[in-house]
Amino acid sequence: MFKMWRKWRKEHPAGPLDYARKWPLQLTMLATFVFLYAPIVILIAFSFNDSRRNIVWRGFTLKYYEKAMANDGLIEAFVNSLTIAFVSTIVSTILGAMVAILLWRFRFPGKPAYEGTMALPIVIPEICMGVAMLAFFARIGWPTDLIWPLNLGNIIIAHISFSFPFAAVVIRARLAGFNRELEEAARDLGANEWEVYRDILIPYLRPGLVAGGLLAFTLSLDDFVITFFTSGPETVTFPVKVYSMVRFSVTPEVNAASTVLIVITLVLTAVALWMQNRSSSKND
Amino acid sequence: MIGRRGKSISRREALKTTIAGFGAVAAGISFGRTAFAAEEPKLNFYNWDTYIGETTLDDFKGVSGIEVNMSLFADNDELFAKLKEGNPGFDLIVPTNDYVTRMIEADMIMPLDHSKIPNFKKNISPLFQSPDFDKDRKFSMPYMWGTMGIGYRKSRVNGPITSWKTMFESDEYAGRIAWLSESRTMLGIVGMYMGHGMNAVDPVLIDAAADLLIKQKPHVKVIAEDNGQDLLLSGEVDLTIEWNGDILQVMAEDDDLDYVIPQEGSLIWQDTLCIPKGAPHPNNAHAFINYILDAEAGAKIAEFIYYATPNLAARELLGDDYNKNPAIFPPDEVIAKCQSALYLGEDLQGAYETAWTRMQAA
Amino acid sequence: MEHWRRYPRVFWTVLSAPTFWLAVFFIIPLTLIWVYSFGEKRGIVDIEITGTLANYIRAFEPVYLQIFTKSLWIAIVSTFICLAVGLPVALTIVYAPKRWKPVLLMLVILPFWTNLLIRTYALIAVLRTRGYVNFGLEWLHDQALWLFQLVGMGPIGIQLLGERFEPLEMLYNNGAVIIGLVYVHLPFMVLPLYAALERLDRSYLEASLDLGAGQLRTFFLIIVPLAMPGIVSGLIITFIPVLGSFLTPDLLGGPDSTMIANIIERQFKSANDWPFGAALSFLLMYLTFGALALRAYLTRGKGGGLEA
Repeated sequence: MFKMWRKWRKEHPAGPLDYARKWPLQLTMLATFVFLYAPIVILIAFSFNDSRRNIVWRGFTLKYYEKAMANDGLIEAFVNSLTIAFVSTIVSTILGAMVAILLWRFRFPGKPAYEGTMALPIVIPEICMGVAMLAFFARIGWPTDLIWPLNLGNIIIAHISFSFPFAAVVIRARLAGFNRELEEAARDLGANEWEVYRDILIPYLRPGLVAGGLLAFTLSLDDFVITFFTSGPETVTFPVKVYSMVRFSVTPEVNAASTVLIVITLVLTAVALWMQNRSSSKND
Repeated sequence: MIGRRGKSISRREALKTTIAGFGAVAAGISFGRTAFAAEEPKLNFYNWDTYIGETTLDDFKGVSGIEVNMSLFADNDELFAKLKEGNPGFDLIVPTNDYVTRMIEADMIMPLDHSKIPNFKKNISPLFQSPDFDKDRKFSMPYMWGTMGIGYRKSRVNGPITSWKTMFESDEYAGRIAWLSESRTMLGIVGMYMGHGMNAVDPVLIDAAADLLIKQKPHVKVIAEDNGQDLLLSGEVDLTIEWNGDILQVMAEDDDLDYVIPQEGSLIWQDTLCIPKGAPHPNNAHAFINYILDAEAGAKIAEFIYYATPNLAARELLGDDYNKNPAIFPPDEVIAKCQSALYLGEDLQGAYETAWTRMQAA
Repeated sequence: MEHWRRYPRVFWTVLSAPTFWLAVFFIIPLTLIWVYSFGEKRGIVDIEITGTLANYIRAFEPVYLQIFTKSLWIAIVSTFICLAVGLPVALTIVYAPKRWKPVLLMLVILPFWTNLLIRTYALIAVLRTRGYVNFGLEWLHDQALWLFQLVGMGPIGIQLLGERFEPLEMLYNNGAVIIGLVYVHLPFMVLPLYAALERLDRSYLEASLDLGAGQLRTFFLIIVPLAMPGIVSGLIITFIPVLGSFLTPDLLGGPDSTMIANIIERQFKSANDWPFGAALSFLLMYLTFGALALRAYLTRGKGGGLEA
């Protein structure tokens, strides 16, 4: 083995710019990866720990996963999170697409100011937005005794508000590569405005819409700070519930719930990337 | 989707869908409202952590069919803030005595229907039937009472702990002590240590208490939100200010821990069960209160959480290691040194909170 | 790009919904907070708008200025550590063999997709007194003592290392907050750095190396200046969320690690002083805008803009 490695090194001498082959940088990369992944790996590993205090390893068990599955509050929080993310993604993608088209296509007075304002939800610290939402819903007297899923309304509204500018950025990046000659050709062939949009632009946009939607979905699913300020006892989301579990009486159940969330996020990311790869190889 | 005739159809279709949408929403809201007229078997219970029996919620569901959804808060400040701008949907809350006064004044809790809580007259000790902060129990029912003190690890301290000085004015255990996060309570305790009592009304005294804390802060490891006992148990700190029952709960798991009420005296408190205004399930809340005040259910709660119960019938069902435990039922001379917290009006409450914020920021 | 008057119907359609949403559900809430910052508490739940500047004046008291300064300091330190680690990582990925680039990039970004709360919680178990770092150090300590005893120098070992292992205090202090902030925001810094370094023309580097400059000199004199807009972008994009972070100092910090966002949260929750919290909120926003303006100034005409 060693001889083979030596031979490979002789045949592929490292160029001066081959930074990835330099050992100080390799060491840095390794250290960084260990730093980034070790806590998460340990968290997942210790979700199987058979010890309530979860400080030392005492044996393998699945009982905390069972407890998490049987924890009605946790399941309800999870369902709430999914519902909110689902609605928020759809509306955010639509609004984001509209903004992207608007800014890509049109000149109008006050455009730089409009662009700046549209970017505000992206740059504003989350806590400022969280307290603003709290004050807003309290002030307008948002009803608190609505039936599910309408009682998730204020959280959904807040999520849409901070998600659609992100989606807009992603979709606009995709729009930048659109060849307007296609549009002109379609118009020459007699298509009216809406048909151009429906048959030319939207299909082209689809990878951007998917990417923007995925971003909005993850932002909503993972959001803590803004949801923390707008949720009530019947509208608890998954991160807020986990926060409560982290504050009070920590057991491996928190690890189990966290692992489930990590797996779901990873699966969704993988699916979306796979879809994007497929469609981009088809369309481009 | 969009018809071949372009704009006119799309506009009509859009209007139709909007009206249909609003209709669905309106139907949903009205259905929701009528559904609540007949209370569904649910209860939103907002409680302290480690403050209910092991099986109480399940037992109650077995007896009444009502599903209890319990959320947790860390201190009275958090409870009050959550309800301040309107009830977000809680049916039953557990405020401490001085906060009951504050909530009655702010019109945040509703009067109780004693006819739905027969266990009150039957089981509760006469001493708790009409307290100063809620005459004739119009708004609250007694839950538990207790003291506050120092929980510590015996093998890591240099001698018996006797004074609040260890926590407030000494660097003997620097980096190994924890405070509690409740603003009014902590400043009141410091007031007792400094000699001017739990309920100082002079802002100068309040600020002096905050200044003392600011001086001591560098020696403190954590300002714990009701989990001081967990930090003590896990070895993160060696001394913590906590409620007596919380310390007793971890003492049951670790012999090396102990609880003491310092010689300057401490806080004696009483927690109550109240129903906030705008509760969606007030009938279920009354039923649950009555269940908690039952002898057997009350006994199960008390022996699990190690707090003193005002329920005489429950106490009869428990043994000496509960009834004669001096940490749960302190002797008279200790009680004589303790004071209750009083609600001093919103201005002074604000002064306490401002002082605490100043301490946190320093 | 065409003037809006050419297709007014399309223009108004795509303008209406997002603008309405932004106005009602974003601008109005922020304005409400802004208005509250000029108000006072009246009674237990009411706020009266008296046009007072008392809240802002109070926010400039030494105590709170100290918190702002401390937060700025923690944010600056954390951001720079992110840069110091992020630059070599980004550089390595950019010049890695083509096959590996997407994989390496994905590996760095992947933790970013997991929940902030979960990552911070994971760090607690690692850093606490009875946590894994201390466990590891304790094991090393015991092994070292054993080695000393093996060579017959037991007492010397005990003198050097101490009989019992004293765990490092790595949690509930400012250090823990910085570690936590770097941990959470590092992937966020690598992306813009990667984008900037990718666009770099390699011939510059090769020329510099041919002319005799060493690797380090090339790095500091060629790479860094050329990639500066991207670096500045990355710094600002990381700095702003770090400054306003709430969860990490809340879970990992000690009594003296309170940051701005924690004080703001306290005003809206336990301390029940919304006007003051609103004033603090807006001061944080002004700081944010200041940082953005700085970024615009530093990257003017150099291909900056919002996409970095």
